[in-house]
Amino acid sequence: MSFAFKLINREKKLEDCKPLFEDKKYEVQLKKLQEMVKPLAEATETGLIVKSEKCNGCGNCIVVCPVHVEKDPHGAGIGRGPTITDPIYRIENGKLVILNMHACRRYGRNRILCVVCRENCPTDAISFLEG
Amino acid sequence: MICTACSCLCDDVEIVDGKVLNACERGYRHISRYRESRAKPMVEGKEVDVDSAIEAAVELLKSAKSPAIYGLDTSTVEAQKIAVEIAKKLNCYIDDNSSFCLGEFVEAILKKEIPSSTLDDVRDRAYVVIYWGTNPYHSLPRHMSRYAYYPRGAKRQRGYDEDRYLVVIDVRRSEAAKLAKKNAKFIQVDSDLELVDSFMRALEGKAGKYEVASILREMKKADFNVTFGGLGLKYGLRGNFRAFCELLRNINKFAPLYFIPSGFHANMRGFNETLFEAVNAVNSYSFSSAASSPEFAFTELLKRERIDTALIVGTDPIASLPLEASGKLPKLKKILVDPRNTLTSKIAEVVIPSAFSGIESGGEMVRSDGVRVKLKPIAKAEVDDVYVLKRILEGL
Repeated sequence: MSFAFKLINREKKLEDCKPLFEDKKYEVQLKKLQEMVKPLAEATETGLIVKSEKCNGCGNCIVVCPVHVEKDPHGAGIGRGPTITDPIYRIENGKLVILNMHACRRYGRNRILCVVCRENCPTDAISFLEG
Repeated sequence: MICTACSCLCDDVEIVDGKVLNACERGYRHISRYRESRAKPMVEGKEVDVDSAIEAAVELLKSAKSPAIYGLDTSTVEAQKIAVEIAKKLNCYIDDNSSFCLGEFVEAILKKEIPSSTLDDVRDRAYVVIYWGTNPYHSLPRHMSRYAYYPRGAKRQRGYDEDRYLVVIDVRRSEAAKLAKKNAKFIQVDSDLELVDSFMRALEGKAGKYEVASILREMKKADFNVTFGGLGLKYGLRGNFRAFCELLRNINKFAPLYFIPSGFHANMRGFNETLFEAVNAVNSYSFSSAASSPEFAFTELLKRERIDTALIVGTDPIASLPLEASGKLPKLKKILVDPRNTLTSKIAEVVIPSAFSGIESGGEMVRSDGVRVKLKPIAKAEVDDVYVLKRILEGL
């Protein structure tokens, strides 16, 4: 279980489990595990996945983000584009881009499972690894 | 710059290192593709210079027995004013898309029949926010985040889930309806008139088809509530617009509720206000009859074959009007002023290329709430709507 958590938190990689690759009898399990961890590759360190093709740049995620409200009360906090230099998100060319994931409340030792951006995305363009 | 892709007229759009920042996808496409598929000056299918095209347009208008001017919803107020002058000089019809869009709502606001307010006040003060027959996700992508629901306001500091109450009224579970979660309500309507009736009954303490008493209770808690009405509301009322105005007035006796139309071209309200200042009507106006009437709407004029020449500015009636109306367009002479090649430009007798307002030409536009916004173009075009229309006016 410990290895599984480390795998999800990206502290370990699947390759770190040597028997899985060396022993032929785990071939089926290896294939299944590789499929399971595939989303990890496209997710950020906080488990965030942005599907650009679904995003229409409405900016709900940027304005609802509590970090933006706190750091940029007269920009993103009141509905405008971010005016700080290191926002978590920004809309570039009509699509959401992640600029500074380290500022997200889901990052670091004191992280919390904030999902407010996902909850207010009208097109489900934002998702997290946990769902 | 000011984005002129829709009537939100977002003023925080920037272009940095070739990237368009803060604009929604619709705005980005509008801004980034302005150089594509540009119209060329044409007369009877042959390419000419701009001056010749303008002269040909003047000749067509001079020889017209019953001309009409149509469009102008993406032009600046300055261009709209000149177009009204041309209509006055030609003693002809003038109309824009608002005759089948939200013109009635704007007219009621300008005549002070229903209370309205600005989007800035909505951001700072609104508690109950109703989207009735409109899906901002498609028509005004940043409406909820920029102005209405998500931003913190002067008197709404605690965020959308505590300091706002969202109501979405639609015939289907739209993208906006999916956002009606905590402290919110989604009403899936079969008939908008029955919903109006339910509100009326709830005001009298009676039960109606839809449960709306809870919305009224929420409204009572605040000193500022707002309804955004779109095309779904307009057509859902089935012509019974007065019933809706009556409802707004009755609710306002109970709790303050403002109305702002939402979901139209960048400067449709500008056209309505410009014409209203000139002739006290918002659209479908005939200078020869000195009156406005639904039968003077461009679509009706086409259907009834009452015009022989049309000056079309910044709109594509072949693509946007129903076949019943657009099918009559080949029968009349068409002068098209448009920056882009469109289906209408393919059949127009005269095509005069123009500029994209807000991108290549400056001026003033009116936001959906009536606030006037000065455009900040990023490029400069020599020929824009104002230049073309001024030259036509001089030629006449």
